[in-house]
Amino acid sequence: MNGRRRWVSILTILALAPCLAAGILGAGSQDAPEARAQQAAVKAPAEGTEAAPRPPKERMAVVVLLTWVWISILVLFWLLRLRVREADRVFNMGLRRTAGKAPEERGH
Amino acid sequence: MRTLRDWFDERLGFGAVIGFLEKKDVPRHKHTVFYYTGSSILFFLGIQIVTGVLLAFYYQPTLAGANPSVARIVTELPLGWLLRSVHSWSSTFMIAIVFIHLLGIAFTKAYRRPREATWITGVLLLAASLAFGFTGYLLPWDELSLAATKVGTNLPRSIPVVGAWLTGVMRAGEDVTGDTLSRFFIFHVSVLPIAILALLGAHLFLVQRHGMSVPLEEERKGGKGPVLPFWPNFAYREAGVWLILLGLLVTIAVVAAPGLGPQADLMSPAPEGIKPEWYFLFMFQTLKLFPARILGLNGEMVAVLLMMAGMGLVAVLPFIDNRPAERKGKIITGLAWAGLAYAVVMSIWGLL
Amino acid sequence: MKLPYSLFSRRAFLNSLIGGWLAALGAAFISPLLKYVVLPTPEPDQVSLPLADVEDLAAGSVQGFAWGNKPGLLKKAEDGSFIAFVGVCTHLDCNVSYVVEQKRFYCACHEGWYDENGVNVAGPPPSPLRRLDVSVEGDALIVRRRA
Repeated sequence: MNGRRRWVSILTILALAPCLAAGILGAGSQDAPEARAQQAAVKAPAEGTEAAPRPPKERMAVVVLLTWVWISILVLFWLLRLRVREADRVFNMGLRRTAGKAPEERGH
Repeated sequence: MRTLRDWFDERLGFGAVIGFLEKKDVPRHKHTVFYYTGSSILFFLGIQIVTGVLLAFYYQPTLAGANPSVARIVTELPLGWLLRSVHSWSSTFMIAIVFIHLLGIAFTKAYRRPREATWITGVLLLAASLAFGFTGYLLPWDELSLAATKVGTNLPRSIPVVGAWLTGVMRAGEDVTGDTLSRFFIFHVSVLPIAILALLGAHLFLVQRHGMSVPLEEERKGGKGPVLPFWPNFAYREAGVWLILLGLLVTIAVVAAPGLGPQADLMSPAPEGIKPEWYFLFMFQTLKLFPARILGLNGEMVAVLLMMAGMGLVAVLPFIDNRPAERKGKIITGLAWAGLAYAVVMSIWGLL
Repeated sequence: MKLPYSLFSRRAFLNSLIGGWLAALGAAFISPLLKYVVLPTPEPDQVSLPLADVEDLAAGSVQGFAWGNKPGLLKKAEDGSFIAFVGVCTHLDCNVSYVVEQKRFYCACHEGWYDENGVNVAGPPPSPLRRLDVSVEGDALIVRRRA
């Protein structure tokens, strides 16, 4: 990675890291007032702090979904890479697309 | 397929748009990566609209119903928790990329003539995005969001003359009540979407009209540097970026799904550890640091006015930085770096 | 068997691969979301009413009860037995009422009439009111879905 790219990556990470941290911390701190309220035991039962409860069967489904999403992303990324390389090849050859399209070839 | 395209073209006239897109070029230079930020924002906005509409199917914007309806979405409805988590995280991602986009434009000085109007629409889009985040934060109506909203809507009060009135407009009265919730809700789902779509239309039109800006060094080289056709080369690359962002978003949404605090009680004392969303942290921390009185003036008023002045400066930056290539431009760049450092430091401090 | 030429071009194949995989990725999200969008709210299998509430019902009169999200109608016949209907008109889903003087059920939306056994007798309703089974078990009246 050359120097500029490294800077850009560092800056991006610097910019995104606080939000990530804030979000994760924020998600955690949602529980804190609940715990304290329960200890204080003021008036109404301080319920309602659901941190995305998930029964085991649903957890499995979610893991499967996530795996599928990433596999799809990798496959689509690879296919996209083929397309990008082709487009770059075509462009570098100077074959800029104009109004008409060349007819599709039948098999290779 | 071609006849279908021709059918639409004959009636709607897409041909001109497609023809334009086919000819559009994206300059290649060391800062080209920033060109991806714009469409990434659009990607997340689309996700927000879809997940937002779905959440609104079951959300009830009333004092009694808000928190329980969110609880229902998160616990009972199939994948409701994931929908809400995606909506919440996508807002963070979107605003983060809006800031990166702004920084990229600011540091490459892409706002210089003739793109000042693009910058202004961009700043308004930033304001709309932040307003989205602010109004959305209240909607679950839990203790933390109520407290954060009380603090946030209290801020305008320190503006002289119109302050109290402004706070009253935001809160629908002097205090935060169910009316505040209704107001925030209608802004979040109606007023702001219309506004952001209108601004986006103007912003995108201006961007296409002026073409992609290049950094000053490239401009100095004169003529045309290396370019990439927008379609299909750059567009396919953008699609790749979108895929990665989608993966990151869904992963984080699954792994770090936000919970829901207990229902807000208008009468109970503020909970500990209130803080606003991360994008307001630097303002929040700045306010905390200001002393109560400065030179006999109300400290908070000075702080709020200073912040508004800062935002005003950012809004008219292209007109201030009218000689970007010369020393004045370099000074302004230095000040921008300082401003960024300040915001980052304050944000991190606000987190601790 | 080797074909002399390919049935489709590499380009078409890759296009379909991209499109197909995108569709599959989309489907992975869409199918659970469909369940989110159209919530199944099944009717209850049975509803239990305390006998004390319905004992005083006069013969030939009707009392309402909750059948899930729909109104249920409990009718005490002349001989003291109970029959229950789902009080929803079979025409276009309006809630029906019981007109005691006429001993008929009436739907105000399009003036549909059902007799005291729920059989449609006048107006647009195409079929009788849906019956529910009633049985007394201990100190409760159980209303069940018909098998």
